[in-house]
Amino acid sequence: MTEVQERSGAPHTLPDHDRSAVTPTMPRKPIFGLRTPVGRPQRVTSAVAVWALFFGVWMLASASGLVNELLVPAPQQVFATTWDLFAHRGFGSDVLISIGRVVVAFAMACAVAIPLGVMMGSFPAVEAFFNPFVSAWRYLPAPSFIPILLMWFGTGEAPKLALLFIGVIFFLITLIMDHTKNVREELVETALTLGAKRATVVRKVIFPAVLPDVVVAMRQMLAMAWTYLVIAEIVASTTGIGAMMMRARRFLKTDEILAGIIVIGALGLLFDLLFALIYRWAFPYLRTQR
Amino acid sequence: MSGGQSALGVRHVSKSFDLGKGRTVEAVRDVTFDVEGNSICVLLGPSGCGKSTVLRMMAGLETPTSGEIAIGGRHVDGPGRDRGMVFQAYTSFDWLSVRSNVEFGMKINGVPAAERRERAERFIQLVGLGKFADAYPSQLSGGMRQRVAIARTLANGPEVLLMDEPFGALDAETRWLMQELMIDVAEKTDTTMVIVTHDLEEAIFLADKIVFLSSHPGRVKKEIVPTFKSGRVADKEQLVRLSGYSDLEGELMHMMREEGRGHE
Repeated sequence: MTEVQERSGAPHTLPDHDRSAVTPTMPRKPIFGLRTPVGRPQRVTSAVAVWALFFGVWMLASASGLVNELLVPAPQQVFATTWDLFAHRGFGSDVLISIGRVVVAFAMACAVAIPLGVMMGSFPAVEAFFNPFVSAWRYLPAPSFIPILLMWFGTGEAPKLALLFIGVIFFLITLIMDHTKNVREELVETALTLGAKRATVVRKVIFPAVLPDVVVAMRQMLAMAWTYLVIAEIVASTTGIGAMMMRARRFLKTDEILAGIIVIGALGLLFDLLFALIYRWAFPYLRTQR
Repeated sequence: MSGGQSALGVRHVSKSFDLGKGRTVEAVRDVTFDVEGNSICVLLGPSGCGKSTVLRMMAGLETPTSGEIAIGGRHVDGPGRDRGMVFQAYTSFDWLSVRSNVEFGMKINGVPAAERRERAERFIQLVGLGKFADAYPSQLSGGMRQRVAIARTLANGPEVLLMDEPFGALDAETRWLMQELMIDVAEKTDTTMVIVTHDLEEAIFLADKIVFLSSHPGRVKKEIVPTFKSGRVADKEQLVRLSGYSDLEGELMHMMREEGRGHE
């Protein structure tokens, strides 16, 4: 988080944050301005255009017979299949199972990582104990645990949750610890000179100061949780989005596989948006700083 | 507020920092001076003279290697609410409104809510932030954020207010206003203050007594009472017109030069 260097003019006027209001209307900006911010209309148009191009090329390739129809079904067919999966074949419950797995495992990881990360970032003694352990585990790819997890937990929900948990928690702890260390020393010292005890400093200053960064870290790691979910479901599951895709493969239903990919992408986007909303809602005091 | 004579004493204080591998650097050597109750004491000196280190030791944020610091006869051992500190960097708690920032110290020290409200209100008014009590710090200018920090510290009822170059990050105009505010606060609240600065004008304007520190390591070079002011002057413009002002400024400037020359 960068601190905005404000002009401190007359002490009784609020500084104006809206710099753009000051810029006079330019004669005409070039479309490819070097490091010039792009206006909203151009941004929206560009975003739509890149996807239109993608689907356009895909449709064209399918229609012209350039690609094998069996391996690459036309986009309209994929969307029809997606609809059919939800409407008639109970794909909704697979999606809900997948979401449930991500949410439960991710919540468990956060419940451990947030307190531990904040403590490690606040007390070097705690860091000295846990960090050698945590940083070693971070370099072990979580999927390498799948065989042993299957042997320990069988094929129920436990191995999937365990994989997601292992895959996310060590990164989450490290990120939160680093953010906590970056809480400015002056804030801590201010609290101490106001008479705060160590525990009070952690609860009332360090934790609220780092919380916005914790939410950002959660947002990043949730994306990773989705990745591990799909791996877990593809390797060892009969339910969930990944399992549906593996079933489809056996029957050469490429349209269903692609439908699964689209749904996973859409869910990821949705959760990301959710976190962005939480961030805006929970930290109104940050809005003027951006 | 605290009334009485809460004098602060610094006795033969030295401080060395450990650079690792057995090497140390001596920042402060055998510093002794007194801060009289209800007075403003300014620690002045060139950069690297250890004046911030002395202040931080008074706050209890650093421990002297030798010597002793006492407040009202009590030995200083770690930070405490009897010595409030205002830093140069902004220290407002961004997640709290101005009012909650000012109440923070009282809240963690268990002051009842009604009294908290009343005191916070008084100090918010005192520093001129009445209209912004419900704003977030991020909506305020730099000068206003320092006002929040000052109000927060004073509302906590410290015996001494310690300030480490509190207006260093502000532009000139705002700095004058803040300096005049501090005189006003000192008059109205009878607070003992220790202010670190390298700004000569600021030192002369605020100080009832200037303790000039020499550099590498910091030692007390001279204690100066700007008697030409005959008491405190409420406004900056008035100060520079007083006869005697430029003499003192010249003397301090000469001392600064001397210190600088010896080490560069």
